[in-house]
Amino acid sequence: MTDGIYSRLVRRETHSSRSTIAIVVALILAIVLAWIAVESVLAALGQPALLAAPADAVKAVLDAASAPAGAIVAGAVVVAVVGLILVIVSLSPGRRGRRSAGVDRTAVVVDDRVIAQRLAQTAGYAGDISPDQVKVSVGGGSVDVVLELQPGRTVDKAGVQRSVEEELAGYDITPALRPKVRVSEKGSVR
Amino acid sequence: MTNSNRFLNRLFVFLVGLVLLVAGGGVAAGALIPGVQQTVSDAASNAAGPTSDALSGSAVWILWVTALAAIVLIVILVAFILGHGHGRTSTLLRVSNGAGGDQPSGGSLVIDAKVAQQVFEEALSHDSNIASVDVAAFSVKGETVLRITVHSRRGASPVEVRRSVDKAVRTWDSLLGETTPVFVQIVSGIRSQLSGSSTRVA
Repeated sequence: MTDGIYSRLVRRETHSSRSTIAIVVALILAIVLAWIAVESVLAALGQPALLAAPADAVKAVLDAASAPAGAIVAGAVVVAVVGLILVIVSLSPGRRGRRSAGVDRTAVVVDDRVIAQRLAQTAGYAGDISPDQVKVSVGGGSVDVVLELQPGRTVDKAGVQRSVEEELAGYDITPALRPKVRVSEKGSVR
Repeated sequence: MTNSNRFLNRLFVFLVGLVLLVAGGGVAAGALIPGVQQTVSDAASNAAGPTSDALSGSAVWILWVTALAAIVLIVILVAFILGHGHGRTSTLLRVSNGAGGDQPSGGSLVIDAKVAQQVFEEALSHDSNIASVDVAAFSVKGETVLRITVHSRRGASPVEVRRSVDKAVRTWDSLLGETTPVFVQIVSGIRSQLSGSSTRVA
C-alpha cells in the first residue's frame, strides 16, 4: 500500500514541480488576454483604444513581417529564445539537488548540501585538516572533494578517499555518488 | 507533497514555449532567409487587407468573439493557477465510531497534525545532530502522509539523523496504534547554518 505512495513522493520531492514557471507564464498570458479583450470591446463600441486598436496592431505586425526591420527581427529572436527556454524547462527533469536515501518504514530524501557538509567533516577528520579547508561539491553522480592545504602541509589523499567512500557506502542514496578527492596547494594561510 | 498536476504544468509550459518558438522563429527566419522571406512577406501582405477590414468595424461580431474567447481563456488560466498547491491537511487520523475492538464506541476520534508536530519536536529536539523539526500532514491519493522536515546541523551524519528519526517514528507508531506513511526530508537550511557545528575541530 505505502510502496506506491513512497515512490511517488520520492519522485515528486526530488524533482521540481515546474509550478512556479507555469503559474508565471499563465499570469502573463492572462494579462495579455485581458488586454486583448479590453481592446476588442473598446473597438467594438467605437471607443478610443487603450494602447492600440486591434486592427492597427494586427496591421502593424503583418506590415512588419512583409517588410522586416531590424528591431522586429531582434524582437522575434528574443521571443524565439524565450520559447526555446520554456520548451527546455518543460522537458528537462528538473532535479532539486536532493536524493532518495532509501525506503523502508519511512521514505527519506536527503539534501545534497547535507551530504556535502558531512563529507567535508569526514574528509577533514581523515586528512587531519579543518573541515573549513575542505570544499565539497555534490553533482549529479559524483562528489568533488577538494582539500585546500596550507603551504608545507601534506595529506594522506588515499586515506581521505577511502574514508569518504566508506562514509558514502552507508548512505544508500539514489542516484549514487562517486567521490573524487583532489588536493589544492593554493590554500590560504590563516 | 501537494496535488499539483505536474504533467499539466509541463504540458502548458511546453505548448506556450512551442508557440513562442515557432512564431518568433518563423518571423526571424522569414527576415533572415531570402527564400522564406518572400513567402512570409507575400502571405503577410495578402492577409493585411482582409484582417484590418475584419477588425476595423465592418464586422463587429469578430471583435465580440475575440473578447469572449479571451475571457474564456482567462477563466481557464485562473482555474489552472488556483489548482496548485492543495493537499495539506490538518487532520492526521480519523477513527470513527464502530463495533470492532480497535474502534471506539460512542463517538469518533480525530487526531490533529499538531499532535505529531509536538511529539516529534519533543522526541528529536535533544538530538545533537538535529537543529529543528517541522511536521506537516498531507493528503496524497486518499491517504494521509506525515512529512517530517529535519533541519540537520552542519556536518551531521544523514545516517545518524535517519536513525533517530526512525526511532521516533517507531515510538509514534506505537503511540498512534496505526502506521501512517511517513516521508522524511533531511535538509540543511538557514537554521542549520546559524546553529553552527555540533563539534569543533581545531
